[in-house]
Amino acid sequence: MRPEARPGWGLLAGLATRDLWHDRKVSLCIVASLVAVIAPLLLLFGLKHGVVSQLRGELLDDPRNLEIRLLGNHDLDRAWFARLAAQPGVGFVMPLTRSLNAQADLALDSQRFVAGAEVIPSGPGDPLLGARLAPPQGDSVLLSASAARKLEVSGGERIRLLVLRKLDGNSERGQREVTVAGVLPETAFPRPALLVSLDLLVAMEDFRDGFAVPALGFASGRPALPRERYARARVYAGSLDAVAPLAGWLEGERIETSTRLREIESVKAVDRVLGLIFAVIAWTAAIGCIASLAGAFLANIDRKRKDLALLRLLGFRRAAVGVYVMVQAALLTCLAFGLGYAAYLAGSTVFNRVLGANLAADAFVCRLENLHILLAFASALLIASLVAALGGYRAIHIQPAESLRDL
Amino acid sequence: MTPPMLHIENLAIHRGTYRILLPSLSLARGEVAAITGASGCGKSTLLEMIGLILRPERLDRYELGDEADAATPDAAPLDIAALLREDRQARLADLRAQRLGFVPQSGGLLPFLDVRRNIALPRRMLGLPASGERVEEAIEQLGLQPLLHKKPAQLSIGERQRASFVRAIAHEPDLLLADEPTAALDPLQARRLFELIVETTQRLRIATLLVSHDWGLLRACAIRRLVGVPDAENNGGTVFRDAP
Repeated sequence: MRPEARPGWGLLAGLATRDLWHDRKVSLCIVASLVAVIAPLLLLFGLKHGVVSQLRGELLDDPRNLEIRLLGNHDLDRAWFARLAAQPGVGFVMPLTRSLNAQADLALDSQRFVAGAEVIPSGPGDPLLGARLAPPQGDSVLLSASAARKLEVSGGERIRLLVLRKLDGNSERGQREVTVAGVLPETAFPRPALLVSLDLLVAMEDFRDGFAVPALGFASGRPALPRERYARARVYAGSLDAVAPLAGWLEGERIETSTRLREIESVKAVDRVLGLIFAVIAWTAAIGCIASLAGAFLANIDRKRKDLALLRLLGFRRAAVGVYVMVQAALLTCLAFGLGYAAYLAGSTVFNRVLGANLAADAFVCRLENLHILLAFASALLIASLVAALGGYRAIHIQPAESLRDL
Repeated sequence: MTPPMLHIENLAIHRGTYRILLPSLSLARGEVAAITGASGCGKSTLLEMIGLILRPERLDRYELGDEADAATPDAAPLDIAALLREDRQARLADLRAQRLGFVPQSGGLLPFLDVRRNIALPRRMLGLPASGERVEEAIEQLGLQPLLHKKPAQLSIGERQRASFVRAIAHEPDLLLADEPTAALDPLQARRLFELIVETTQRLRIATLLVSHDWGLLRACAIRRLVGVPDAENNGGTVFRDAP
């Protein structure tokens, strides 16, 4: 029986591999020229990414960098809050009372008290809380680190919340016992402050406005109407990039704001400058690499003309010879990328050990995400395949007759 | 009479104004024929055309295989002329792999495979087991056993030529084509290779066409000759005819 089978791709890939191994000196030269481009680019991008993420991380650690502070008192209704919340890039929004009413005295006993602590309404998603603390609710409140230090209290203890008002010439003191559910980290808020639910803050303002507030021990008098309007708001952007557009939107609403845009802008400027430097170097290196690869691949194909013609003579199809050349390019690129990645790992370890010695334990100077590695690998493979396709185009036009004669 | 294994009629190839003509050629199973003629008369070109790697300007018939085997008793010979006219490269490549065996002038072994793998390549291309009875026999006869694990660069030209011959018959083709296989061999080696080619052709019942200008050797081995003579009708050209 005469077989009708055709040569398989596996056989072709096996031949391509053996060819590369047989020709390992030349293969090694091609791999080395690729590694010489891949490793420095990975390191350079790793440094850029590492430095910029470090700076951004430091900014993000301080929630004030995401805050857009509204200056002055306004008249903000529910519809306005709904519009604000619908803006893209909004991280956290919480209504706030008039500034003078957002203060209270805190006392544990006659010795330990804080006069005029800031009272801040909080809720789920508040950047001040970080990932660890639950938002305040009802009687449970949170203290800033400095307030907790002055009161010498820690989580679980009860303190008194005192609010003064003058009504018909009499000084009255509203008070309420609350439980300290937790203490904010030192970096979250520098001044003495108390985080409460919005309801409690509103009750305090109602009390100062002369209404009856049973929650603070004054049940007589007119009850307060349900709250529809607020004087101010706490606004946080969801990301550093969203701070400027949100501030711009608020300006459009005729509300003056104050942000830490300068710090954010300086980090972005560093990002831009490093990005430009990286792009210029990467393009220069890539063009050089493409030129050297093209030269190496094409010269290689000229050198192997006879072998390729022989493969055609033995009955490999044209496309198979093109694939043969491409497989070789892909194999060399995979090897080069592996070595380049190893060189990157070694280099980045040196950077992180030596340059990162004065940073925090989890800080890094040079770092790449898995996605970056994957993208770099894909681009290397793409470039090599394109260059090899040029050679492959040349290879498929090699005539099988070239193997029969000694030209 | 058994139908011919290879049958060609009215083949013409142009090389500029130079024309190479083959009015008729039939080879039976087990038959060896040699293409001879003066240098540059187009012997190799003719062999390349018959080896399906050149496209002729004219070709009336090219049939390969009598197909009278047990599995397909009624099958007609394969009409290769049509494939060549339509320039069906992929199908022609498949035919080269399945039905033809080549012995190029300088051996034409792949430098990155050892002798064993070079010989096994045509079989592996067709998905056959790497080694067969015939292959082992030929390796034995040609004394290639000690060379099997050497790369072609480590072999002498004669050794390469012998390995190339075993590779050309490894997949049991219909037609063996050899372009001056003995050009680089000394007379004794050349004679031994010729005898082996004739003997193998008969034993494997294939057809063999070789290019040679060694008339003495051809005569000694009683090989049928196809002689290229200047074309009398056309100005500049060669006609290949059976020698009287």
